[in-house]
Amino acid sequence: MLEILQNNWLLFLVGQYPHGPIGGLVMTLFMAALSLALCFPFAIGLALARLSPYRWLRLPATAIVHTVRGLPLIMFIFWTYFFSPLIIGRAVGGVETLVIALVVYEAAYLSEIIRAGIEGLPRGQTEAATSLGLRYWPTTIKVVLPQALHNMLPSMVSQFVSTIKETSLGYVISAHELTFAAAQVNNVLLTQPFEVYGILALTYFALCFALTSLARLIERRISAGRGGAPGIVVAA
Amino acid sequence: MIRFENVDKWFGTLQVLAGISGEVRRGEVKVLVGPSGSGKSTLIRTVTRLETIQGGRVLVDDADIASRSVDINRLRQRVGFVFQAYNLFPHLSALGNITLGLTKLRGLSKAAARERAMEELARVGLTEKADEMPGLLSGGQKQRVAIARSLAMDPQVMLFDEPTSALDPEMVGEVLAAMKRLAAGGMTMICVTHEIGFAREVADEIWFMEAGRLIERGSPAELASSQAGSRLGAFLRKVGPG
Ligand SMILES: Nc1ncnc2c1ncn2[C@@H]1O[C@H](COP(=O)(O)OP(=O)(O)OP(=O)(O)O)[C@@H](O)[C@H]1O
Ligand SMILES: [Mg+2]
Repeated sequence: MLEILQNNWLLFLVGQYPHGPIGGLVMTLFMAALSLALCFPFAIGLALARLSPYRWLRLPATAIVHTVRGLPLIMFIFWTYFFSPLIIGRAVGGVETLVIALVVYEAAYLSEIIRAGIEGLPRGQTEAATSLGLRYWPTTIKVVLPQALHNMLPSMVSQFVSTIKETSLGYVISAHELTFAAAQVNNVLLTQPFEVYGILALTYFALCFALTSLARLIERRISAGRGGAPGIVVAA
Repeated sequence: MIRFENVDKWFGTLQVLAGISGEVRRGEVKVLVGPSGSGKSTLIRTVTRLETIQGGRVLVDDADIASRSVDINRLRQRVGFVFQAYNLFPHLSALGNITLGLTKLRGLSKAAARERAMEELARVGLTEKADEMPGLLSGGQKQRVAIARSLAMDPQVMLFDEPTSALDPEMVGEVLAAMKRLAAGGMTMICVTHEIGFAREVADEIWFMEAGRLIERGSPAELASSQAGSRLGAFLRKVGPG
């Protein structure tokens, strides 16, 4: 196992780069981070729409979230893969396909996290802002979202962990990421699938475990902060 | 300044306010007392439409606050509200809590807002806590910052919903002192409070509510002398000497 790692660590880390497209762990992290970042505005929009007093905003947003959450991610990957060339008139690479599918998919999940964060705030917060005379948007941007997002930081790290694992589905559309790199190594070695995929599993585990621990650490900090220490403000 | 005309309020099938009428004139201080659940909070919350009403009218400066021509957010700037739970914004410093409305609503520059906020903090004796986060302030300090936050908007009326009920006894005095100064300065106020000493000292009139009705009202002196056997008298004895 160690020997396989010694001979192929660069491939695991960055794929065929610099001789081919960048891939491996770096691309996995990049895609997970990019899709989460890109889905953020959509997730906030969906969360606010679901909490809106207006039915015409609430109902479509609710429908979108339920639909997306009721379908497996691989459906979105296939749809993006087969339909986006028809729409934009050219072939779309694996990485773009995966990021687009992930943005749609993660937006639905992240919106639920944000919605929970907003609903978890004491009602007095919006009441105090309202009583000053602040309208909906200043209240949302200056009072509600900073607190909701800060409180939801651990959940968002967990969501990042899920996203990292979900990027492995990029394998089916040849997005150059970590699982794809492992498969390439396996194709070269042919006889050691157990070791190769063992390395793959350990890599995912180490990464996700570290991030999950970080989430727990943040969580403890936040609850300590509620007990008296100043809150750390996380900007949207 | 504020007039309630036959105000009815329902939460579903529960009637919480039943035909409340009363007037608060400019510069007057009304103290609202009554048992828990009698509708005191709900009544003052109707003034800035934190609660909508189902019957009657609430007028501020002779304008029906439910009417379309009233800009409710403008009105809210003119009517300060202080909550039992302070409701400071925990992610902003004491100063930040006060400057938020000034920059967003009054269009003040950061520097001007800061200066104005420091004035208000000085009025409640908390200039040295300007940059402190609310989590590090005592209950009494939080409530004084909350009062400063309301006052910074230059309100013409202040509504207080049991501002000292969540406080440790040793901090009640500092908040009441701030309120007394405000009353002495001529502020129009409606205060829900069980601080009978405060009521005796500053109230022009005490309103006693029970089960959604305003059942007795009078100046502290009138109530003390003439109504020792009344419901209010019994209630005041129960909540203790002030
Ligand atoms: N949002 C709400 N939904 C349903 N019922 C409510 C709501 N808010 C208040 N009530 C009910 O309305 C009644 C009056 O409540 P309110 O808070 O005005 O009483 P209060 O006199 O301020 O009491 P307290 O002294 O306990 O603060 C109570 O029976 C309460 O349970
Ligand atoms: Mg109350």
